[in-house]
Amino acid sequence: MSRKQLDRTLLIAAALVAFGLPLVVTSPTYLQILILLFFYAYLTTAWNLVGGFAGVLPLGHSVFVGIGAYTSSILTLQYGVSPWIGMLVGGAIAAVIGVIIGLPTFRMRGAYFCLCTIAFAEGIRVMVENIDTLGPLKINGPRGLLVPLLKDPTFWDYQFMSKLPYYYIILVLLILVLAFTWFVSRSKIGYYLAAGGEEPEAAAALGINVANYKLFAMALSCFLTALAGTFYAQLMLYFYPKGLMGLDLSFEIAFIALIGGRGTIAGPVIGALLLRPLNEFTRIYLSDMLPGLHLVIFGLILILVMIYLPKGLTAPLAALYDRLARKITDQGAAK
Amino acid sequence: MTAVIQATLNGAMMGAMYGLTALGLTLIFGVMKVVNFAHGSLLMVGMFSAYWLIRLTGIHPYLALVIVPPVLFVFGYYLQDVVIKPVFKAEGQVREPLTVIIVTTGVWYVLDNLALMLFGAEYRTVRTAISNKSFALGEFIISIPKFSGFVVAVATAVGLALFMRKTKTGKALRATSLDREAANLMGINQYRIYNIAFGLGTAIAGIAGCVLIPFYYVYPSVGVVFDIRAFIIVVLGGLGSIPGALLGGLVIGLIESVFSQFMASTWTEAIIYAIFLIILFVKPSGFFGHKQDW
Repeated sequence: MSRKQLDRTLLIAAALVAFGLPLVVTSPTYLQILILLFFYAYLTTAWNLVGGFAGVLPLGHSVFVGIGAYTSSILTLQYGVSPWIGMLVGGAIAAVIGVIIGLPTFRMRGAYFCLCTIAFAEGIRVMVENIDTLGPLKINGPRGLLVPLLKDPTFWDYQFMSKLPYYYIILVLLILVLAFTWFVSRSKIGYYLAAGGEEPEAAAALGINVANYKLFAMALSCFLTALAGTFYAQLMLYFYPKGLMGLDLSFEIAFIALIGGRGTIAGPVIGALLLRPLNEFTRIYLSDMLPGLHLVIFGLILILVMIYLPKGLTAPLAALYDRLARKITDQGAAK
Repeated sequence: MTAVIQATLNGAMMGAMYGLTALGLTLIFGVMKVVNFAHGSLLMVGMFSAYWLIRLTGIHPYLALVIVPPVLFVFGYYLQDVVIKPVFKAEGQVREPLTVIIVTTGVWYVLDNLALMLFGAEYRTVRTAISNKSFALGEFIISIPKFSGFVVAVATAVGLALFMRKTKTGKALRATSLDREAANLMGINQYRIYNIAFGLGTAIAGIAGCVLIPFYYVYPSVGVVFDIRAFIIVVLGGLGSIPGALLGGLVIGLIESVFSQFMASTWTEAIIYAIFLIILFVKPSGFFGHKQDW
């Protein structure tokens, strides 16, 4: 078996496991945990397009989740537009806002860019919290929006009686965004982005318009992030600015990417696979014992990973896989 | 009109507190080129240290000013040495290490939640001899703890500026902030300077904690209130600039206090963010920042 075949077999096996998992996991609670796991992996992969490949650290992506959720929900609630269409509209709005933010900020150095994205996101959140109606649009301020539960939802309503369809929607979205990231990272754009992230001056000297590629990546990333916002709104049927657009979510996305491995394709998935269950279970079991303990543990893990594995967990895992793969494929060749 | 002037005075005094917090942040950024996300948590540590010192020993609140900051200096010195330095080394000579920002966020989570575990979430306050004292300036009332805080903030900024100009360590700090490699070549130990810068920044958070405690509540996440403002202030004043931090603090304090006379306080928050963004786009280097910094 060649290395390529091995890779492909394992990928297909992983996909089969992911698609078959609901056959084993039937409890809605655990299914919900899996859905949220994929949701975070998806968000982080979308973030990774800017935060990983373009070498900057945006810390306000939750605002785009909010834009997605609000756009599709307002369109559904007030104009009867299907969330499937609202999702694309939300994505487009998020992409435009992403470019508006990116235009002036991508010229800035790391720390300024970081602070700027935080200020943008927090500023928009505070405004949404203070607006009850914006022209004809009902935003509801801090109370958030309630997506009404339908009696007989059809597929067109993006609302389902069981968790199963949500599971498959987010799984397909995740696979699509991963495939897309893989494609970008192997294209000219990906190389330009990486060059611009690591050595902006050198890349510019070679005639690469780094800022334009970064803007492109930002628009894509924001578009994809907003799609997840609609998904969240339809899954939870309720959201409010502080919970959805706050810094907590933005930071968590960045943490998952950094612990998994920024700028790698598998990083966000590995990060989410490890951190989400850890978060869920420590929160469930430890926060009763001592409030805050689970976040102390989370902070410590973050610090330790950054000290001992600054490139994240993907690098050592990839090395391990490499060694194993060589053994397996060598044996295959010897036969 | 009287109300506006009173609000201006109050705003200036609260602004000095924001400025004092931002001072530590700007010092650490100036030298290390790292935005210390744990800065608000260090302020919280300073406030809790002052709180327990005053409550358990019953000393005069301002006596804490000579005890808490040195202790926090040592804390900050070793925090940088043990936690932040390894990550810094891994990122090498990158001009603005980004992973370090995340490590400081980890420190923030750990400190805030340790405080939550130890002390619970309730708001605490110390009633001291001076807490309710005030004096009249014409027809305006000035609270003594707030006014002392203002004086201490200005004195700290002046003291820090003098330290940076006159002492050998201060000069080494400035040299490192201007050019890391050149300072290294001149025999300055970069990482020891970072320890000192981080220690000093933490000590200043300790000073702020001591002067805040007679009139402000302390609770585990109190740092967040000051954190976001401190970020805005350092950009407004110019990242790394000492007078910028103080002036930026005053401006933000004034905006907050005066605007809250006319509109809901949540809107003043939105206005602060808007002002921040406008400044970033018009003049990213702030009042006193260096152009090369952004």
